Amino acid sequence: MQERETSDEYELRRSMVISLHNQPPSMQVYSTNETVDAVVIGTGAGGAPLMARLAAAGLSVVALEAGKHWSPARDFATDERAQAELFWNDERLSAGGNPLPFGNNNSGKGVGGSTLHYTAYVPRPQPDDLRLHTEFGVGADWPLEYGDLEPYYDELEHFLGVSGPAAYPWGPPRRTAYPLAPLPLNGAAQLMERACAAHGIRTSPAANAALSARYFQTGVGWRAACTNRGFCQAGCSTGAKASMDVTFVPLAVRAGAEVRTESFVIRLETDRSKRITGVVYVRDGREERQLCRHVFLCAGGIETPRMLLINNLANSSGQVGRNFMAHTGLQVWGQFAEDVRPYKGIPGALISEDTHRPADADFAGGYLLQSIGVMPVTYASQVARGRGLWGERLREHMRGYNHTAGINILGDCLPSARNYVELSDELDARGLPKPRVHFTNGENERRMNAHAEKLMREVWATAGARDIWAFPRNAHIIGTCRIGTDAETAVVNPDGRAFDVPNLYIADNSIFPSALSCNPALTIMALSLRTADLFLRRAQRSEN
Amino acid sequence: MKANTYPRGTVRALVETSLVTPATRMALLSRLVPDDAPPPPEPKPRFFDAEAFDTLRAACDRLIPQADRPHPVQLAGALDERLAEGKGDGWRYNQMPPDGEAHRRGLRGLNESAHAMFGEAFYELEASRQDEVLLVVQRNEAQGETWKTLPAHRFFEELLAELVECFYSDPLTQEEIGYVGFADAHGWSAVGLNELEAHEPRAIEDMADAGARNIGRIRVAAKHGD
Repeated sequence: MQERETSDEYELRRSMVISLHNQPPSMQVYSTNETVDAVVIGTGAGGAPLMARLAAAGLSVVALEAGKHWSPARDFATDERAQAELFWNDERLSAGGNPLPFGNNNSGKGVGGSTLHYTAYVPRPQPDDLRLHTEFGVGADWPLEYGDLEPYYDELEHFLGVSGPAAYPWGPPRRTAYPLAPLPLNGAAQLMERACAAHGIRTSPAANAALSARYFQTGVGWRAACTNRGFCQAGCSTGAKASMDVTFVPLAVRAGAEVRTESFVIRLETDRSKRITGVVYVRDGREERQLCRHVFLCAGGIETPRMLLINNLANSSGQVGRNFMAHTGLQVWGQFAEDVRPYKGIPGALISEDTHRPADADFAGGYLLQSIGVMPVTYASQVARGRGLWGERLREHMRGYNHTAGINILGDCLPSARNYVELSDELDARGLPKPRVHFTNGENERRMNAHAEKLMREVWATAGARDIWAFPRNAHIIGTCRIGTDAETAVVNPDGRAFDVPNLYIADNSIFPSALSCNPALTIMALSLRTADLFLRRAQRSEN
Repeated sequence: MKANTYPRGTVRALVETSLVTPATRMALLSRLVPDDAPPPPEPKPRFFDAEAFDTLRAACDRLIPQADRPHPVQLAGALDERLAEGKGDGWRYNQMPPDGEAHRRGLRGLNESAHAMFGEAFYELEASRQDEVLLVVQRNEAQGETWKTLPAHRFFEELLAELVECFYSDPLTQEEIGYVGFADAHGWSAVGLNELEAHEPRAIEDMADAGARNIGRIRVAAKHGD
């Protein structure tokens, strides 16, 4: 017999969870008048890793975060509506032939940024992803190689505690194994696994930054194993998912960094030599200014260019906001005789990269396949938008929710002149121009989607799906402040430093020159650590 | 695919148990209308005028019919409240004006189309004619002055998606589709195909197949302690 938990019991359980990965009681606090070594704008996958690195090297670091510092065990409900505050809900205007939804798609708010609601899917790119132009004559090459990022992937997978297969079938041989065994396959993953086998498509349990077993994290402490709660996309309440708020942020705070929350940056102030001298932000309705020697802008593929455009900074190339990309992310859904219960288990449990460079492709690049679980409000909303079902037909379809499973792709997206972020004439509540995001899939993306839709429909039919339907979709916000070797065509140099502003670094998905055919979070973190290391090396050299 | 129906009472039976975390319980209880609640008072719109609100309520009744629900989810009221508070969801179509204006104009457009097709306001039409109006609006083929400057299909999509999200956020609607992901305190150990834990409700057809009608309900009740 189970009784309702008393509040004392709950508090005890909560304090046990929190103590595993909470900050030390005293966080270093810097005066706004002190010229700190670094201000980091944004605490997501771009800002948090470098914050920890810089603080560990003894630098004075202040991170400015627009959102709150949530206490997941106390604050996070397993309820989609209640969790809407995790998303970046300041309005963006979506333009173009394939206007992108935002809000619960893509950007996050709060310490941890969009890692608060990422699926924790952390495949590495393959080396040829970084050489798309060399290979196909379209898109852009990266000014760095896989080997430059590989040590960071190794480090990240072990620090975060990535769960993954003992032998990963794709990509170059790995120097280190995943530290934890894969998470269990849920219903959607089992359906995809057996149907892909029938089609001769190899599959593997995916690499997920969620713990399949209790894990000791250096500098942070013990984190509890994933309970298969299935709610990664709207906040992990147990700390099993490696969002930044339970990994790099506490590491940074322990090393002396300050995280200043609910601080919305509105202005970057410069001197005559175009160096940034201070960052102005609004906190509690008042403007404050933090003096600093260096700025690391890590606000993501839309807010980062928006901040630069508002301040008319780092844009002598005219490339700020340009080359906006969003992965092809077509989903195919079906309903099965089996009980799937799509609310259980890590949503993306199974992967195939056999479509990385399909033999019959009529497009550049490629994509990966993954199984997907889904929560009911998200699914119902997609049924409404994607199929246009309403009335009794909608309710009838939704009664099959427990028998629903999906597969989707995550594929490359070519940069294009017609896809960009600009400032609109419309002002937000702070008086800042709202961003307008133009996006239209090009011929390459359309062909890739068509190839993938045909394949996924066949796989799902083999799996026994009925009522198969496709939901067109693009995911992730990429590009807009391209990294490159040429100041005429890129915003930051290969070290991540702005060509025009000597003490400004950008480290987030905005610097990607090509989209890569995999989920971006792990690579954003790798770039973040690399940027910090290059910065520290440069600082050391100038001291000597 | 056969329609599944699930036993009633699952949410109420689970929500007070230790299978649900306090944060989730609080979120559910804020939306869970008691079985014996009196009918809600006639809603008074804060954002829409009376005619727009009547139009909206009529559209809600067709888009998400709830005749079977003793306490229908207050969909029109929720949209009105959201707009009165000026809340947004992070984006809008560039082709569309701000949400409040889009909905005011779109509801006017529904009435214009209703007049053009049947000579009456939308909310005065019989249900089948309302459906015809909604369908041409959804297909972006509707007549009316408003639709010359407001894309009818985008208005329809935005309205439908918001109502659907509101409806499926309701715990009793989630019960109708057999969702119990809110039982989050311990997570799940049985996650594979056809693997169900004791407190996951069985579809009524499935139970009939197994000759064990109502077993899901009994198990949940046992957990609750009675």
